[in-house]
This record gives sequence, structure tokens and C-alpha cells, in this order.
Amino acid sequence: MAHADRSIRVKQPLEIMTPDRRQPVRNVLLEALLVAATGIVLAFGANLVSPRGLALTRNYFPAGISRPVPAATSVSSPHDMASTNPPASSPAQLLAVRLKEQGLQSVDGQQAAQLFHDPRFKQGSIAFIDARDEQHYGEGHIPGACEFDPYYPEKYFATVLPVCQAAEQIVVYCNGGDCDDSASAAILLRDVGIATRKFFIYTGGIPEWITNGLPVEIGGRNSGNLRSTNK
Amino acid sequence: MNDNPSSWKRTAADIFAVLARWLLGAVFLYMGLNKALHPVEFLKMVRQYDLVQSSLLLNSIGGALPWFEIFCGLLLLAGVAVRGTAVMLIVMLVPFTLLVFHRALAIQSAQAIPFCAVKFDCGCGTGEVFICRKLLENFLFILFSVWLLAGYGRKLCVRYSLMSCAAKTGLPEKGGSNSSI
Repeated sequence: MAHADRSIRVKQPLEIMTPDRRQPVRNVLLEALLVAATGIVLAFGANLVSPRGLALTRNYFPAGISRPVPAATSVSSPHDMASTNPPASSPAQLLAVRLKEQGLQSVDGQQAAQLFHDPRFKQGSIAFIDARDEQHYGEGHIPGACEFDPYYPEKYFATVLPVCQAAEQIVVYCNGGDCDDSASAAILLRDVGIATRKFFIYTGGIPEWITNGLPVEIGGRNSGNLRSTNK
Repeated sequence: MNDNPSSWKRTAADIFAVLARWLLGAVFLYMGLNKALHPVEFLKMVRQYDLVQSSLLLNSIGGALPWFEIFCGLLLLAGVAVRGTAVMLIVMLVPFTLLVFHRALAIQSAQAIPFCAVKFDCGCGTGEVFICRKLLENFLFILFSVWLLAGYGRKLCVRYSLMSCAAKTGLPEKGGSNSSI
């Protein structure tokens, strides 16, 4: 046995020097391919069975897969800078252009506040739609606004559609800035039969609403748990 | 007692390599879980890079990549197919790092701020980060991956190599004996 062990130990360095040296590299690459193939199959499977998984064939960005404006930091990419078109000066302006392309109208903070204080809001002729996720909606939304997360629309159609059908004007908002989830929500609702002319995208969104010192409602719709944002 | 200095060095390298493997595994597991639990947020982040124009491709990246990272993290933690997984980590980390770097440059030029003051959510699963810290982290992760690929980190592995003939062809046993459990 001891003799056999010694022969193996002597053999190892010799093998490394032979042309078969490429064998370990090939093995590593094969192993990597095996890891990749197994991982990809398992990853798609996990996404399929996960309750939070993405539907691969759905277009989650009906307002356009390309960013309507450069990222959260509101800056231009080098590509944008190289463009011959004059750059728009703010994310809001760029978003307004994008909304116009989609046939959607926009409103500013003052107009949104006017619609909120309009008596027709209480009567249901004006509706507010919050296009943020459940958590953000619960933390504070425009009082009386309906929740409609455009990434999980099927969850909200039953409650939102009757409100939209009854309303003459629908104000949709999300996080302001370059957030275009409000536009996505409007397009999704338009696609199920709500007239485009009804939609008004509040581009400033909830941050501007709060900055303007307007009240927000905590928890569910019409919970009555209002919080003043007056400074 | 073995007082041979080279033996001590080898033991220290073994320990560090195993720790590096566990660290890489834990980081990929953590970042993958963060993304897999919030796939829509991750999808929005991927979209920001304007990599693809097809919703199918975008959704595939957003839906499957986090789980793939979890898979790689688990393999490293358990010590299965370590070098193959290290290759996959390098294949993922290098392009991600270049994308993040490119985006940080765009932000820097637009905001006219020092490069290291650039802070944004790169979609890496750790929220907003300063770019220099992120690049340094990724550089270290790539370095660790290369180290594992070179044959270190063999200790405490369930199955270091999936290729049975790999043991016969024999890369040098950098970590001493192949201490598979």
C-alpha cells in the first residue's frame, strides 16, 4: 500500500507536465457549463413557482421598456448627451413629452389639489388612483385614492374598474420624478375599456403632494386615518 | 507539531480560502434573496440599464437571475462544484461591474460631482451604495472567485468537483488533501 501511495505522489507532477494539462481546464469549463445549465433550469423553475415570480410574457412597462427619463438620480446618460436633440431640462418635462406620446394628459400639483377639493370628488365624478405598491400605499396616500399597483393589476381590477367607470376625471399618481408607474396604470386601465380622455397623470406624485402640505391617509382607502403634512 | 513554515502558510491559505468561499456564498445568497423577494423592484433596476428592449428578455433577467445567484451562493457554501461556480461568478461579476461603472460615470458627468461621491441603487440587492465602495467590493469578489478557480478552498467541501476524472488528472492540491466531507 505504501508503495502504491508513493507511485501516485510521484505521478502527479509528471501528469501536470504532459499535454493532458488542458484536461483540468476542460473539466472546469464543463463543470461551469453544468452549473450554468442546472442553475438556469432551477432559476426559471423557482420564478415559476414563487408567488412573487414574474410572468415572463407580460409587458410590465406598457409605457415603454426604455426609460422615459434617465434613472432615479435624474441625470443624462452619455448617449443622451451625444444626441442631436436638445435635452429636456427636467425629468418632469421629459415625462410630459412621453405622456403626450401615449395620448395621456398631465396635471401639476395645483391642479391636482383643485381636483381633490372639488365637490365632484366626494360624488365620485373625480377619482384618484395610487399606482404605488401596497406597502407605500399603506404608509400614506391621497385621501380616498384607490390602490392600483400596475405590476399586479389583476389583484385590483375588481375594485378599481367600477370607480373608473363612474368617474369623469381620473387622477393617477405614483412617486413623482421619473416614476412612470402612473402612466403604466393608466394604459392598463385604458386597455380594459376606460376612455383615455379621463386620465390625468399627476407628475409630481406623492412627494410633491406632501411637500405642498396636503393631507395623506394612512392604511386602507377611506380609513379616516388622516395625517396632516403641514410644516 | 509541524513547524515547517511552508506548512503554516498552506494552512493559513486553506483557512482564508474557505472563509472567502463562505463569504462569497453568503453574499450571493443574501443579494439573491433580496432580489427574489422583491422581483418587481429588481426588474425596475434592470430596466434602468437599458440593456434589452424585449419584455421577455427583461422579465427573464428579472425573474431568473436572483434565483441563479441563490443557487451559486448555496453551491459555494456547501462546497459543490466550486471551480465551476467560481467561473460563473466571474462571468456575472465582470459585466455587472462594468455596467455599474459605466452608469456611475454618466451620473458623475451629469452631476459634476467627484466620482466617489456618486451614490445610487445599482440593483445589486443592497440598496443605495457609494460607487467606489461598490467597485471595491466587486473587485474583491472577483479576486476571491479567481482564487477559488485557481484551486484553493477545497477544505470542508461536500463535493469539490463534479468531474470525477478531475481528481485523476490532478491539479496540485493547493489546499493540502482534498478534504471532502
